[in-house]
Amino acid sequence: MGEELLKVDGLKVRFKTDDGYITTVNGVSFSVKKGETLAIVGESGSGKSVTSLALMGILPPNGEVVDGDVTYKDKDLRTLSKKDYRKIRGNDISMIFQEPMTALNPVFTIGFQLREPLMLHEGLSKKEAQARGVEMLRNVGISDAEKVMGRFPHQLSGGMRQRVMIAMALSCNPELLIADEPTTALDVTIQAQILTLLRNLKESSNTSIMIITHDLGVVAELADRVIVMYAGEVVEVATVHELFESPQHPYTKGLLDSMPKIHDVVNELYSIEGTVPNPAEMPQGCKFHPRCPFGDEECVQTHPNLLNVKGDHAARCIKLAKKELVV
Amino acid sequence: MKYLLKSLLKTIPVLLLITMIVFVLMRLTGDPVSLMLPENATAEERDTLRESLGLNDPLPVQYLAFLGDLVKGDFGDSFRYNMDALDLVLERLPATLELAIASMIVAVIISVPLGILSAIKRNSVLDLFITGGAVVGKAMPNFWLGIMLILFFSVTFQLLPVSGRGTLAHLVLPAITLGTGIAAEMTRLIRSSMLEILGQDFIRTARSKGLRETVVVNQHAFRNALIPVVTIMALQTATLVGGTLITETVFAWPGLGQLLVQAVNLRDMAVVQAATFIIAIFVILSNLSADLIYRLLDPRIKYE
Repeated sequence: MGEELLKVDGLKVRFKTDDGYITTVNGVSFSVKKGETLAIVGESGSGKSVTSLALMGILPPNGEVVDGDVTYKDKDLRTLSKKDYRKIRGNDISMIFQEPMTALNPVFTIGFQLREPLMLHEGLSKKEAQARGVEMLRNVGISDAEKVMGRFPHQLSGGMRQRVMIAMALSCNPELLIADEPTTALDVTIQAQILTLLRNLKESSNTSIMIITHDLGVVAELADRVIVMYAGEVVEVATVHELFESPQHPYTKGLLDSMPKIHDVVNELYSIEGTVPNPAEMPQGCKFHPRCPFGDEECVQTHPNLLNVKGDHAARCIKLAKKELVV
Repeated sequence: MKYLLKSLLKTIPVLLLITMIVFVLMRLTGDPVSLMLPENATAEERDTLRESLGLNDPLPVQYLAFLGDLVKGDFGDSFRYNMDALDLVLERLPATLELAIASMIVAVIISVPLGILSAIKRNSVLDLFITGGAVVGKAMPNFWLGIMLILFFSVTFQLLPVSGRGTLAHLVLPAITLGTGIAAEMTRLIRSSMLEILGQDFIRTARSKGLRETVVVNQHAFRNALIPVVTIMALQTATLVGGTLITETVFAWPGLGQLLVQAVNLRDMAVVQAATFIIAIFVILSNLSADLIYRLLDPRIKYE
């Protein structure tokens, strides 16, 4: 570990809407190191999925990257030609999505969809790709792989489809796997199986994983390092251990407190008051201040920078600099 | 195969119902005898003719007699042409089918590329141009477009024949006339269908694999977008077989539409019966083939 595989610096993404432009990712910086698993955590609307789509260069047509650098190995992805970008997509960097039910094309067989990236990136013949596809399906725990290759997506369960998606994403041995909420849409038992699958992948290969989730259980299970996002910004960066041991940002603390603990008897679960602000009506100053229990006049006035706490642990809160915050 | 057999069996009651409706309507809406005899014919002469044609029998009796003949493939003779009605219809059928197929080809050639293009370039000037053009194409009456095409291509530049049927050149203008309206409707449908599909998750997956955009659009998206388009194509084909009287009249195209309208006006019952029967068969066939195409396009569709 140590060598940087992907570096994102000051990424800014905006969307064109009927009411003008809305910035959903505002100056996000982080890096993914070789072989590590990085979790990006945040509520819905915090910009975590948009960040991943921007990295892949597959933002919806009304979205665009307006600022920042995305460097993969030595390549500047933002200035890469469309053709060279396509060579990276699905090959060096691949992605699995939240909704396995709709992420596969309903009119093509599993085999067709699995062979596609293999024939495209590895230059395999149809027959070779078929054999590799079967092998990939076996690797993700599908026993009757030959049969599944001939099936259509609607003939498979959600868990099976997510396995197929993972097999597809891993088929060209990517250096980085982006998993956007890969377990959210699945049953709890299936969630556990998919997580095991990802952990095995992490342990058995040198593939870096960037996992996007709002589930802190998933984070604890898989991640080496964590980025907490709020309202399009990174609000805290830490190793998984540091984050759970000593969260610095009030938002992170709130997230951790809202996780029910199995031994505590409580009448009411904790939740952070309010909701993520609408990107069109971002609060002044610190974007979290309207929901922050420590928020005061200064928080309304000043937009805080990311502040190093200890080593690589950083958080975006002005109270930290003044040591006013006891968390 | 079993599905096909079942569907074909199901068409029998439909066809029977159609013959019944047409039969009753034809007999309730006018008397062919008054048109067949000279105006100064006596009441007695009329009655004799009626009797000889079997028109004095009660309707159910007439209908059963008609069905008995129908089973033998006999629709009776045309009052006007004094020849077998079915022969008369079948003689016109190739012209109608030829024009229907050619118009459909024109419609597909125009609408598929334009529909896809306006979807992937949505809200651009090109998209505005195409969707605007589609409205114009839909709004243009066939007779006007037909006449304009004749004036331009046949009269001014003398590139194509004015009217009639014969060579491939004769087919061009009527096919464009009919195909334009259908193309307009199909372009709009393909556009909206493609737009819906392009927003789906599996399109994002296809892009994330690194596939070329043309593969994503033409293979992953288009095949999904085709299903509603096939429905419209089947309906339009049925309409084309059923009657394109105006276009046939403008181009003096010897098709079924002209024959049928003429037969209705002259109370030529046998011809109306034969023509509606044949048209009904083609409407049923085009719907059936749409069902079969759905199955080929979308594996989720299964018929029991």
